[in-house]
Amino acid sequence: MIKTQVLVIGSGPGGYTAAFRAADLGKEVTLIERHESLGGVCLNVGCIPSKSLLHTAEVINETKHASELGITFSKPKIDLKGVIKNKDSIVNKLTSGIQALAKARKVKVINGYAKFLSKNQVTLDGTDEVIEFEQCVISVGSRVTKFPMFPFEDKRVMDSTDALLLDDIPKRMLVVGGGIIGLEMATIYDALGTEITIVELGSQIIPAADKDIVNPLFKKIKKNYANIFLNTKVTSMTALKKGIKVVFEGKDAPKSDTFDKVLVAVGRTPNGILIDADKAGVNFNENGFIETDKQMKTNVENIYAIGDVVGQPMLAHKAVHEAKVAAEVICGKKSGFDALTIPSVAYTDPEVAWTGKTEKELKEAGIEFKKGIFPWAASGRSLSIGRTEGVSKSLFDSKSGKILGMGICGTNAGDLIAEASLAIEMGCDMSDIALTIHAHPTLSETTAFAAEMAEGTITDLMPPRKRK
Amino acid sequence: MPTQKNVELPDIGDFDAVDIIEVLVKVGDTVNENDSIITLETDKATMEIPAPFSGKVTSLSIKVGDKVVQGDLILTLESESETETDSEVETDSEVETDASSDQSDNKVIDNSEATVTSTVSQDNIKQPEEVSLKTDSNSHASPSIRKLARELGVSLSRINGTGKKGRILEKDLKSFVKELVTHGNLNEEVEAIPLSRIKKLSGKHLSNCWNTIPHVTQFDEVNIDQLEKFRKHQKEKNIKLSPLVFIMKAVVQVLKRHPNFNASLDEGGENLILKKYFNLGIAVDTPNGLLVPVVKDVSKKSLIELSEELADISLRAREGKLDSSEMKGAGFTISSLGGIGGTQFTPIINSPEVAILGVSRTQIKPIWNGSSFEPTAMIPLALSYDHRVIDGAEGARFMAELNQVLSNIMEMLL
Repeated sequence: MIKTQVLVIGSGPGGYTAAFRAADLGKEVTLIERHESLGGVCLNVGCIPSKSLLHTAEVINETKHASELGITFSKPKIDLKGVIKNKDSIVNKLTSGIQALAKARKVKVINGYAKFLSKNQVTLDGTDEVIEFEQCVISVGSRVTKFPMFPFEDKRVMDSTDALLLDDIPKRMLVVGGGIIGLEMATIYDALGTEITIVELGSQIIPAADKDIVNPLFKKIKKNYANIFLNTKVTSMTALKKGIKVVFEGKDAPKSDTFDKVLVAVGRTPNGILIDADKAGVNFNENGFIETDKQMKTNVENIYAIGDVVGQPMLAHKAVHEAKVAAEVICGKKSGFDALTIPSVAYTDPEVAWTGKTEKELKEAGIEFKKGIFPWAASGRSLSIGRTEGVSKSLFDSKSGKILGMGICGTNAGDLIAEASLAIEMGCDMSDIALTIHAHPTLSETTAFAAEMAEGTITDLMPPRKRK
Repeated sequence: MPTQKNVELPDIGDFDAVDIIEVLVKVGDTVNENDSIITLETDKATMEIPAPFSGKVTSLSIKVGDKVVQGDLILTLESESETETDSEVETDSEVETDASSDQSDNKVIDNSEATVTSTVSQDNIKQPEEVSLKTDSNSHASPSIRKLARELGVSLSRINGTGKKGRILEKDLKSFVKELVTHGNLNEEVEAIPLSRIKKLSGKHLSNCWNTIPHVTQFDEVNIDQLEKFRKHQKEKNIKLSPLVFIMKAVVQVLKRHPNFNASLDEGGENLILKKYFNLGIAVDTPNGLLVPVVKDVSKKSLIELSEELADISLRAREGKLDSSEMKGAGFTISSLGGIGGTQFTPIINSPEVAILGVSRTQIKPIWNGSSFEPTAMIPLALSYDHRVIDGAEGARFMAELNQVLSNIMEMLL
């Protein structure tokens, strides 16, 4: 039997962070991972490989538009093996880095599938090995939601993990789900030459974000992609010899169509139940998430849970912060998760990012706000890089002027949103942002311009007329 | 099944590192839950840290002189019973995480109220989860300040920020906690009054005297029946004499035989300056503070003259009309609180003088006269002297002789 002070199950960004932080605070830590390499979905089949492929897509797209700059490239030759090799080498660099960090911290890494036996023991599935722990952090993440109505047994019906393998470049592909994952994969396949159709149940793509922030992206892909069917349901999917036949139900969609491949990206399901956490007495909510308090403690005193397994948003950066809280609480520190905002980013082209409250959330909550919208068509830097479609929107409390939220659509929006997140955490007012000197010409200026639009102090555009 | 458990320094309500002044256990010792394991000293208090559970000490991670902060490993205990841990765990889970602000405030007070020796409440060790997580969205505070507030168990909604637009700054948080620690309750009214000029001056002088002179205080009680009879007799003739003038005369009588007491130490502490005159400082209580006017040449003055002079300088001292020259040149000081009360006190030597006599209130006490208890007027005296100049034997001798003179007032004639 293996004994350990702290057991961490799952080595994704949350898991390895919890393990490393607890080790740094003096605990003896064991980390269990079911896959051969560490890093979880994010490093192996999520954020990182997709960003590698998105960069490939970006380079392809840049060359397509290079003629506008007076440079003409011939049509790119795509060596799929080379694309995959580049992606894999980046993933390997990062996962072996995690491995080295674990070793340097004397974190014991065990390969296996942990299942709870009790509140102090897990077993490795399929073996007699029992691991006894004093404290445990469950960070087993989530898996792709697979509705039984979709014939996943056919290789042509893919989830995001399959799609990242890039087995081939299909001629026509349907993406079911107009959320972040579906749109990112669509961006990759579109650049590689696939004709993309997107079907989304809701009335807009990326339903969580404000419509005006998503709009520049929507306009662009609407033009590039074959079809985007909103308010449309997929009622059935049949694997035929010539392709996957999909039946739609929606005003704008045809009754049915056949595609070479279908990517289903309709969400992710938490994994808590797969590891028999109920045998330890851990409570789940009705959506299958493990319930925790703000110190990431479950109802079982010595068991903590973090990341996708405890709730939305299923984002690596949320997991990492929760992980630090859990590890610190285990080590007797008075930590707690009290972040005011968790930013969201879609690494599409252009990128979409938002933080704090969205406009629709503020309206629903009945909070009076003031907004400043700055169109990037007025940004010298955006024009210099050949982009005119971006927009920055910031939302402020109408009484105090304090920043409540921000949304950005445009090149590097995912990086630009950091400033707004910091502003929210620091409780900045619109004048704080407007009066902070932003370098010119940068894309980051647009954040200050959006604040100036709200304040009415903008000079690069006509300030919006005051309604009073 | 024995398990190894780390014992870490619990929340002691102080945010700086504290010194370990004593380690009360050693490796191999068996300790019971709540037994003290180490003693810490902060600038405010000494406190003993109890063991959070029973067990055998298997390793010590600290030593005397180390500075520790909350969360530092103190020692490792091998605990025998697993079941006990389980029951502890169960009680813990009942504790609400969202500690109410009241609870967390109490904690701060509890920890700080340790005046001399206190034991850190066991609760603090068992309930690390009692953390204030109430992030009031109206509180204007950065993540680092929210973290600090959590660590201190303070709800930010109770703090008024002094930063721009009401931002709560680190110093706001600290002064809030300091206020709690000092006064317990923020609703209790306090008022800051500047010290009087005299108190400010004499305070400096007094603390200097107290800090630099090794004081010894010799106590005695003197039978003043004779003196009292004489006083009463004079009073009938309308001559009012206070006991103090007799004491002054008696002191001078004894000073003549003990010149070391009528002296001052020079600044370097190398030479004793003996005074060939007999000037006595008399401590006088005034509305603005303590003053010590000097009665000069006591040996040359009659009891009546002394009495008149005392009345005069006391009055002028209270009215603030004393000239500074009248408060200089004493060789020895007397402080009499006899008119107010008290059985004894330890007077502080008025540097550069080397001795002072404190007089408390006369009491009628039953004194054994050899065959029976007799009601006797006894006056308490306390002689503080500078031990660098005066030995204990000399001090006792001085007091014995003063007793002799005062109890037999005819000796003053010698």
